[in-house]
Parts: sequence; C-alpha cells; structure tokens
Amino acid sequence: MIDIITMLATHWISIIGIVIGGICIAVGVHFVPVGGAPAAMAQATGIGTGTVQLAAGSGLTGLLAAGYMYKTLSAAGAVGISEVILICATGAVGAMIMITTTMIVGNWVYIYGVGVPPASAKVEYDPITKNSQAPYVAPGTVGQGMPTVCFVSGTIGGLLGGLGGSLVYCMLMWVNGDPAISSIFAIGVFLVNAVLPSYNIQGTIEGFHDPKFKRVPKAIVACFIASLLCGIIAVMIPGTAMFGGI
Amino acid sequence: MSEPAETANQIDTKGVVVGLVGIYIAGISGIPYLAFLAGIGAIFATKMGADAVRRVCSYGIGTGVPSIGMLALGMGVIAAMFGLAIGKMYNAVFIGPIVGLVLALVIGFVVGSLTNKVIKLNIPVMERCLTEIAGAGVLVLTGFSVMVAGSMDFAVIIEKVITTGYIAPIFILGALGILHPFNANLGPDETQDRTLVHSYSCGAITMAIGGVCSIATIDPIAAILSIVIAAAIWYVNFMGFVRLVQRDAGAGYVGTGLLPPGAM
Repeated sequence: MIDIITMLATHWISIIGIVIGGICIAVGVHFVPVGGAPAAMAQATGIGTGTVQLAAGSGLTGLLAAGYMYKTLSAAGAVGISEVILICATGAVGAMIMITTTMIVGNWVYIYGVGVPPASAKVEYDPITKNSQAPYVAPGTVGQGMPTVCFVSGTIGGLLGGLGGSLVYCMLMWVNGDPAISSIFAIGVFLVNAVLPSYNIQGTIEGFHDPKFKRVPKAIVACFIASLLCGIIAVMIPGTAMFGGI
Repeated sequence: MSEPAETANQIDTKGVVVGLVGIYIAGISGIPYLAFLAGIGAIFATKMGADAVRRVCSYGIGTGVPSIGMLALGMGVIAAMFGLAIGKMYNAVFIGPIVGLVLALVIGFVVGSLTNKVIKLNIPVMERCLTEIAGAGVLVLTGFSVMVAGSMDFAVIIEKVITTGYIAPIFILGALGILHPFNANLGPDETQDRTLVHSYSCGAITMAIGGVCSIATIDPIAAILSIVIAAAIWYVNFMGFVRLVQRDAGAGYVGTGLLPPGAM
C-alpha cells in the first residue's frame, strides 16, 4: 500500500512547481488580447473568441511540444532541472507559435477581409510604435484587429501559458512517470487556472496596456490557492508503475 | 427566465443518486452488459450540471458560457482520478466514486468562494452552482470512464480509458453536455424544460460515442447495447426538444418543410 503522507513529503517540490506553473498560466491569460463576440464582428480590439478557448488552445499546443521534448530527453537519460528548463522552453515556443499564428491570420481577416485598420481604443498612442490610435478607431466601436502592442502582449501571454503548462506537466511526470495521466491532469490544472483569471478580466482584455491589467494581483491570489489545492491532490495520484504495472 | 418546473434540490438529488447508483451497478457487478447503466447515471449528472450552469450563467458571467463547462471538467478530472486512485491504493475500489465526488464538491466550493471573495464577481449563487458543477463534472467523467472500461478499478481505467486516449472525447463531450444546453437556449425566452431536455440529448450523444469507444475495450455486444440505448434516449429527447422549441416559438413558428426542389 502506498502511503499518502509519504507521497506528500516526497513530492513537495512538485507541488511548488505546480503552483508556479498555475500562476504563470494565470498571468499569461491577462496578456492575451481577448475580444470575445464583439471582436468577432470587428467592433472591439483583440481575437474574436473567449479567453478559455485561446488559453486552452495555446496551452495544449505547448503541452504537445513539451511532451515530445520530454520523450526525446528522457530517452537520453534521467530528467533533471536542466532538462525541465529545456522542456518548458519548448512548451513556451509551441504556445507562442500557436497564438502568433492565430493573431496574424486574424489580422489578415480584419485588414483584407473586413477592411478595418488594427487600432486600440484603450490608449491614445500605441506604447510600442507611438502611432496615433484614435483616428483609426471606427465610430461606435472600441477598436478593431490586433495593433502592434496587442500582438506583442499576446506573444508574451503565449510564452507564460506554455511555460506554465509544461512546468505542470514536468512536475506530474516526476511524480507518476505516466504521460497519459500527467497530460490529462495538466489539462485539468490548466483549465482551472485559465478560467479563474478570465472571470477576473470579465471576458475581454487588450493586453498589458489595458487598465484591466491592474487586476492581475487578485488573479494571482485566487490561482495560488486553487493550484495549491490541485497540486496537493495531483501528487497523491500514483502512476501505473506503482501498482506493479499492467 | 421562467419559473423552474423542477427545483435545484430535486435535480441535484436525482443527479447524484442516479449517477452513483448507475456507476456502482456497472462497476461492481463486473457484467459487461450492464456497463450502459454508468452512462445513464452520467446523463443525469449532465443534467444536474446543465441546470447549475443555467442558474449561474443567467447572471451574465462576462466570459461566455463555455468557460464554466471547461472549469467543471477541469476540476472534475482531478477529483475523479484521485477518487479512483485512492480506491485502488487502499484496495477498496468501491470508495472511489464517493471520494471523488466529495473532493469535487470541496474543490468546487473553494473555487466558487475564490471567484466571489477574491475576484469579486459577486454572483450570489456562485458557490452553490460551482459546487454542483464540479460534482456533475466528476460524475460525468467517472460514469463515462466506467462505461468505457467496464470496471471501477483504477488500473483498468488507466489501461483502457486514459492510455488509449478515450479520455479525450469523454472529457470534451462531457463538458459540451454541461455547457452546450444553456449556451444554445439562452435568451429572454429561455425555459428550464427546454434546456434540460437538450442536456439529456447531449448526454446521450456522449454515451453513444462512449459506446463506440467500448467496442475495443470491453465487449462488442455490450458496446452495441450502449449505442442502441443511447440512440433511443437521444431520439426521444431530441424530438421532445424540437417540440418544445416549436411551443416556445409560439405563433412565430411556421413549418416550411425541406428546401424547395429548385433550391437543392
């Protein structure tokens, strides 16, 4: 029989990893320019879908990249701290590729399909390019498409989301050594940590220049508690190997 | 939103009791032909989740209805697997679903309190509804996993449901059954019976897909039994849903038949 207390004592470092991963995901969600239904009609800045779909999409792409990297590295030897850093970097790049592809193709649709210039109504000047925004915002809307600042912000969001998801996956692999259980658990932890911040931003946000970004500390507190709870439960689940294999 | 015909307590009682009874009969009997009972239990749990989503989302949560369904299954998958694993670790397989359910209720309440107290969403029914949604998530996942694996043993579920990847359709279709009914029916003329009939038909679709998955994992005849029963449940409820749509559309509904011959 496997003792629960022993598992908790052995895997406390994995719990810390899961909490850090959860907080990375929570902060990452705030960076992604989410426009929701108004953006889908080119009446608000951002990608035209909900936070959860975007976070889950980029997170799962990151998880896929991280899983492949884990397989390759674990074939070469034991997975230590330096390997975990490599795996997290792979996951972060995977998630960034997904989110940037979504944003660039979305921008093509907005610019060439709908015929609107990307512009933000939340700031007077784009903080990165210093371009004036107000003249390009169509009357009656709150911006359209993804201007440069949103694009950069979204890429940072993908980085943090992919990093967090891969870190959770690595920590769970250390505990149970079973890719199937680890990935489905990482998805569970990921979704909890993506939905809580999405309530924090009330559905839409443009990126780090948006006034709503100041709400980040509340999401960090909420996700710290939620990830701690999920982490404590997750490290108590052993993999197949501990049941003597099948 | 009209007055509900069924109260939340009635729906929760039915969801939890039918859900657990179905899972236990299918999991403990060991008879593959009874595996479909776990699926029927999961359909009632889906309805419980859909009703909770209906109550909480009518306040307007600002992020779209799908987020709360994904949250349900995110919390559900952690609790369900933990419950089943605990059952296996202590050689008492039968405690698995109960432990999972209790844990999910705790996680749901904590997440609901965080949403209201820390994030300050200030929706009065948030704690209760997230508790119910997490409970529904765990029963849906456990129910369909037991149906596909034909057993409550965690080792068997890992081998037949998780490693094979059948957990993915169960996860996403289970979430759809919880989130889709209200997402499809919402609006000023939303009625509870129409939303809940829709949740039965969504649950039945998940059960049919679970039946297809179980062809490879348990027994072809048991799988066909599950698929046929699920198809019958789907047909009855979908026809009921269409009738209710026509009823709620009132005088605005005119039957037009199929496309005219020239338009095909």
